Amino acid sequence: MRVHRRGLLAGLAGVLAVAPTARANTPDAAAAFIESRGTALKQVLDSDAPLAEKRERVADILREAVDVRGVAQFVLGRHWRTANEAERAEYLRLFEATLIRNLSARFGELRGLRFTVSRSQPRGEEGVLVTTMVEQPGQAPVQLDWLVSFASGRPLIVDLIAEGTSLRITQRSEYSAVIQRGGGRIGALLDAMRRQLSTLEQRELAQN
Amino acid sequence: MLRPRLLAPVFGLALLVAGCATVPPETDPEARAEYFERNDPLEPLNRAVFAFNEAFDHLLFRPAAEAYRILIPRPLRTGIGNVLDNLLVPKTAANQLLQGKPKEAAGSAARFIVNATLGVFGIFDVASELGLEPRFEDFGQTLAVWAGTTHGGPYLVLPILGPSTLRDTFALPFDVAMDPWTWVGQGDQVQRLRMGRTVTQAIDAREQFIEPGDALRAQSLDFYAALRAVYLQRRERDIRDEGRPQVRRFFDAR
Repeated sequence: MRVHRRGLLAGLAGVLAVAPTARANTPDAAAAFIESRGTALKQVLDSDAPLAEKRERVADILREAVDVRGVAQFVLGRHWRTANEAERAEYLRLFEATLIRNLSARFGELRGLRFTVSRSQPRGEEGVLVTTMVEQPGQAPVQLDWLVSFASGRPLIVDLIAEGTSLRITQRSEYSAVIQRGGGRIGALLDAMRRQLSTLEQRELAQN
Repeated sequence: MLRPRLLAPVFGLALLVAGCATVPPETDPEARAEYFERNDPLEPLNRAVFAFNEAFDHLLFRPAAEAYRILIPRPLRTGIGNVLDNLLVPKTAANQLLQGKPKEAAGSAARFIVNATLGVFGIFDVASELGLEPRFEDFGQTLAVWAGTTHGGPYLVLPILGPSTLRDTFALPFDVAMDPWTWVGQGDQVQRLRMGRTVTQAIDAREQFIEPGDALRAQSLDFYAALRAVYLQRRERDIRDEGRPQVRRFFDAR
């Protein structure tokens, strides 16, 4: 608890002193950032707003808190460079939509989550790793680590590590497999992403 | 003279080698990096075994895990899991010694004794309450520590047993031999107990993986590649002892 409050205060101080110089590059600032974004997300998840409105609000939080473009580029890896403008744009659109729908398709089970920020440690160039414990009522807590980067001058989430598994590394491995098996075409990946997105859309309708 | 019966596997091996991915040329460093990150030169064969394992899981393994969940109430499953976990501790202690971690090995020994006595044959995880949290080591991890690298060689999918690496596969028989319970007692009854333990262990592990596995499958574009990435990362974490001790809880929703 004390850690929280200190983190929160430091975060507030950081926000108040949000000079053009990005001086808030500290574990405390990252912890406060995760705490505030997590609380905002929890508020939406627990609300009784209509599905579409909830999804829009979640999308706003994600767009603001996550370096969607950076993560998307990391995940596509070397294929980003060979992709043409149209492919890149379509890929980014699908990537963001999938990110959002992955949450909205599970709104039902994401109700009543509790989370606590337990630790925050610098990770060199990469940024700061903020550890949270997320608990659903009646279930064992899950450890989620958020990699927060300050490279852009403001805190942005660049990776999520669930019980030791990095989401972006796992995703990169998958996406490259899909491209490879599709004969090296990025189109194969885009098709697979479109199919996944429509599955998620159906699941969202079924579950909410 | 090669007899036909010998020829078949040789032919199979030739096919397999032909199916191997080739290393991209030096002129394409990014493709090479991707190839080494993927760490799966036997991918075509691995995918075939994976498909077999998926069928096995679908028809037998997962239903068994679901039946276990339905038939055995949560507190009982936790007790059974605790017993299974405690049986793994002597092997863990031996590996901790081999990895040059005598303090951890002593902790494991203490953990085993406390749970086997105060915890009634390991049913209750008293040791965790006393601050001796569960840690698990196997011979594959010990080999990794000895080699000084988390890289375990090419990724392999073993029939029934699932994801592995060359090193972990090599370590398997040693791992069985290192487990004292392999050698304790004799006779049919003991043999049955040993079989029972192995089967229950597998079902317990599968039962715990029902939700995470489903979630991973639902999220992934290529479940094979996702599982490969998860396995390699988990293994690395375990070798570095960076995992969080998982204490089983008696009263959860499922």
